Amino acid sequence: MQGTLDLLILRTLIFGPQHGQGIARAIQQTSEEELLVEHGALYPALQRLEECGWISAKWGASSNNRKARFYSLTSAGRKQLVKETAKWKRLTAAIARILGLEAEGS
Amino acid sequence: MFWRKRKGSDFSAEIEAHIQQESERLREQGMSPEEARAAARRAFGNVMHAEERFYESTRWMWWDHLKQDVHFGLRILAKSPGFTGVAVLTLALGIGATTAIFSMVNGVLLRPLAYRQPNQLYLVREIIPELSQTYPTLPANLRNFRVWQRDCHSFEDVAIVEPLNMTLTGHGEAEQISGGHASANLFEVLGIQAELGRTFLPHEDAPGKNQVVVLSDSFWRERFHADETIAGRSITLDGKPFQVVGILPASFRFPKATQLGAMVEFPSRADYFTPLGLHPEQFSPLGEFDFAAIARLRHGTSASQALAELNTIQAQIAKDEKQGVGLRAALIPLESQVVGDARGGLLLLLGGVGAVLLIVCMNLANLLLVRLPGRVREAAIRTAIGASRGQLTRQLLTESGLIAVLGGALGIWLAYFGVRWLVALAPASLPRLDEVHMDARVLLLMVCVSLLTGVLFGALPAWRVAHAEPQQALKQGSGTTTESSYTRRLRESLICLEVGVGTLLLIIAGLLTTSLVHLLGVDKGFSAEHVLAVDVSLPPQSYTKPEQKQGFYDEVLTRVRSLPGVGSAGWISRLPLEGQEQVDSISVPGHPSNLQAPVANYRYVTAGYFHAIGIPLRQGRWIEPTDRDRHVAVISQSVANEVWPGQNPLGMKFHTGGDEAPLTEVVGVVADIRTVALDEPPLLMIYLPAGPASRNWSGSHASLAVRATMAPAALGSAVRGVMQSVDSGVPILHLRPMAEIVSESVSTRRFEMLLACLFALFALLLAALGIYGVVAYAVAQRRRELGIRMAFGACGVDLRNLVLQHGMWLVLAGWATGLLAALVTGHVIRSLLFGVAPQDPLTIASVTVAVLFVGALACYVPAARTTKLDPMAALRQE
Repeated sequence: MQGTLDLLILRTLIFGPQHGQGIARAIQQTSEEELLVEHGALYPALQRLEECGWISAKWGASSNNRKARFYSLTSAGRKQLVKETAKWKRLTAAIARILGLEAEGS
Repeated sequence: MFWRKRKGSDFSAEIEAHIQQESERLREQGMSPEEARAAARRAFGNVMHAEERFYESTRWMWWDHLKQDVHFGLRILAKSPGFTGVAVLTLALGIGATTAIFSMVNGVLLRPLAYRQPNQLYLVREIIPELSQTYPTLPANLRNFRVWQRDCHSFEDVAIVEPLNMTLTGHGEAEQISGGHASANLFEVLGIQAELGRTFLPHEDAPGKNQVVVLSDSFWRERFHADETIAGRSITLDGKPFQVVGILPASFRFPKATQLGAMVEFPSRADYFTPLGLHPEQFSPLGEFDFAAIARLRHGTSASQALAELNTIQAQIAKDEKQGVGLRAALIPLESQVVGDARGGLLLLLGGVGAVLLIVCMNLANLLLVRLPGRVREAAIRTAIGASRGQLTRQLLTESGLIAVLGGALGIWLAYFGVRWLVALAPASLPRLDEVHMDARVLLLMVCVSLLTGVLFGALPAWRVAHAEPQQALKQGSGTTTESSYTRRLRESLICLEVGVGTLLLIIAGLLTTSLVHLLGVDKGFSAEHVLAVDVSLPPQSYTKPEQKQGFYDEVLTRVRSLPGVGSAGWISRLPLEGQEQVDSISVPGHPSNLQAPVANYRYVTAGYFHAIGIPLRQGRWIEPTDRDRHVAVISQSVANEVWPGQNPLGMKFHTGGDEAPLTEVVGVVADIRTVALDEPPLLMIYLPAGPASRNWSGSHASLAVRATMAPAALGSAVRGVMQSVDSGVPILHLRPMAEIVSESVSTRRFEMLLACLFALFALLLAALGIYGVVAYAVAQRRRELGIRMAFGACGVDLRNLVLQHGMWLVLAGWATGLLAALVTGHVIRSLLFGVAPQDPLTIASVTVAVLFVGALACYVPAARTTKLDPMAALRQE
């Protein structure tokens, strides 16, 4: 769904700066391997979020002393996360209601 | 912003870091390094796709595409330098010529006069119906002007001005300066404010109050070194003090020569203006029409309304004066009067330029069309591997656009020199020549024109290529790259049109040349060969009495006549072809009104003048030295015919001017001469003996005509030496062969003719190149067919004639088109011709010969190659 990946990235970054691979792993682990993100799709999304000013990036060293580009949430990104989360919740609730009604009807 | 600057390599590094990290993690889980890396790559998906998406997100794609197209286009163009060179050069010449000529037309024709709302300004001329045969319109009269100023409500205001020469003293060498005196409101009417100081105050044109002067910017800079303290100071003009009150802006130009109507001749530059300071009562109401009157129409008033009101006023004036003649007026838009005769010629040039540019476009389109079959194959391959029609069209248009930009840039550079060359070449009489230069507007226009030509000549081939069927194009073997009959016909029609336009331009150029030849061969009434003309101006301070002036003239004459190589010499108040002067009536005693009497140009001559200038005697005798104090006259043939038709004019008597003038006896009749211009019919001329008692002649200016028995130029320094030895204080204004005056009088025509010929030759050259291209291409196309014909027994000459025939049909069709166009549009240029009809058969015949010859040559060169055709080689080529 449009914007889902953005939401997941923003949500992951709330725990602190993280590099791309870390974000991918975090999403996979938190969702208990339910959500399989194609890593290649992650980077254009990160680029987009960076352009929107919701996240910022800088090169740094990873835990195993590798060079990596670290992303962190900006204050605008935090606001966006709150807004998107609320929207997402409304949306899923609405979908759940529709699906629930259908289930009752059948 | 930061993200814009993020490079693709940075993004790739990030991806690489990701894959490394991921594979390290997988290795930790027990995979071999190779397996881990492969798995990490799999999980990542398409790296290239991610990179592409990143790339697209950071760019303006159209700019990228353009860069790519331009790059590719440059490579294509560089691959065929011959084609590129010819195309760019053709376009550069076309655009260069167009820009140069357009700058000229823009400066002279299109740019409005640098006055406030110049379209509201009208020249007011007076008309006396009884005189309109000789003088259709007359300059304004001071008394009538005052009436208009008071009574004509259609005018916001009206001003008058008259040329005036004065001598400036007290600032180094005495110098005669030219300018004008005007009503105080002149600058207000024109809408010009002084750059420094002020212009005239309303009361300053009253008698006695007029001792003020405004100076032109250039005169102020040259003579007073831009001294700002000059304002308020006094300068001496004609011995009287004039207070300098203001300096005019540098952009101010005043109409020159007869740009304010016939009989008001301003010098080429006006150095100063003073207020009139004349009593209107000094002027007779129906004489002394000497002034240029410029009116500014009230807003919302049409010229016809204003003219109706003015004519009512004029009728009232005529009624009050009871002279038995009518009085009317004419309003002429100032702009059209200033641009005047030059309009027709310049518009013709502009048309020529347009035609040349059209030919240039057609030639370029043709060049591109020739390359078409090859391009169609290339395009087919590109389509096959996924290029869209849009991309193909864009690519091809970029290519033609590149040619246009290169050609345009080179053309504008050429135009820069072209303008300077044209200005140097152009006759000085061309109005507002000094204002001609390339300005931003012309440049902008030319940039648009070059881009437009690019699109224009590129559009058709681009469309053809983009819409070609790739399958068909590819199916045709690699050897034959045939062009469709549609394209061939198109190219052939373009060539026909080119030949047509070339023929039309040649006919026009031919007609203008014939006109000039006719004009130079016209019977001038005098002979300019071997005649030296010297104009002098006697300084008024040292020559106050008529006897002093006469003394100078006599002394010079005596000494010049004794110079070796001098046949004869004589003075005259104004030379032929130098315009009208001293216009007055011829009143025969007993004639009812002097206003209905014919009007003639009076000239004062010394003995020897007629011999020197070569005006033949028809009847009676010359003016002799002994005639100096006698009232005798020599008249021109047309005076005799007009005043005393069918009678012997010798011994007849008339008043030179009004009835109060002394009776003068006709002693001789000489041939008519061209007084104003070679293309204007002779005017009535009366020659009176120059002497101290000459009425109406101040004697301050005169011209010496010297007939040499050798080349007149060689005599120049000797004559100058004589003048200097008699009085070195007398400035020599001009010293030149009379032939130069004749030549200068047709300089505008010569200029037009020269440019028309240049255009025509350029057009013919381009058309010849076009024909050559078409025939050469046809030969290449038909190699197989010709080879087969040869194999069946046709000899080389047969084949050559076959090809030649094909080419000559095109030439003939083009020639016929051009001829038809010339016959239909001939009347447009009638006003530019002299002594030749627009359908002049001789011109048309010579042009036909020229076009057919050049066309045949252009066909023959490539056609001749067929004779060397080897049938085996031609057939094997497949």
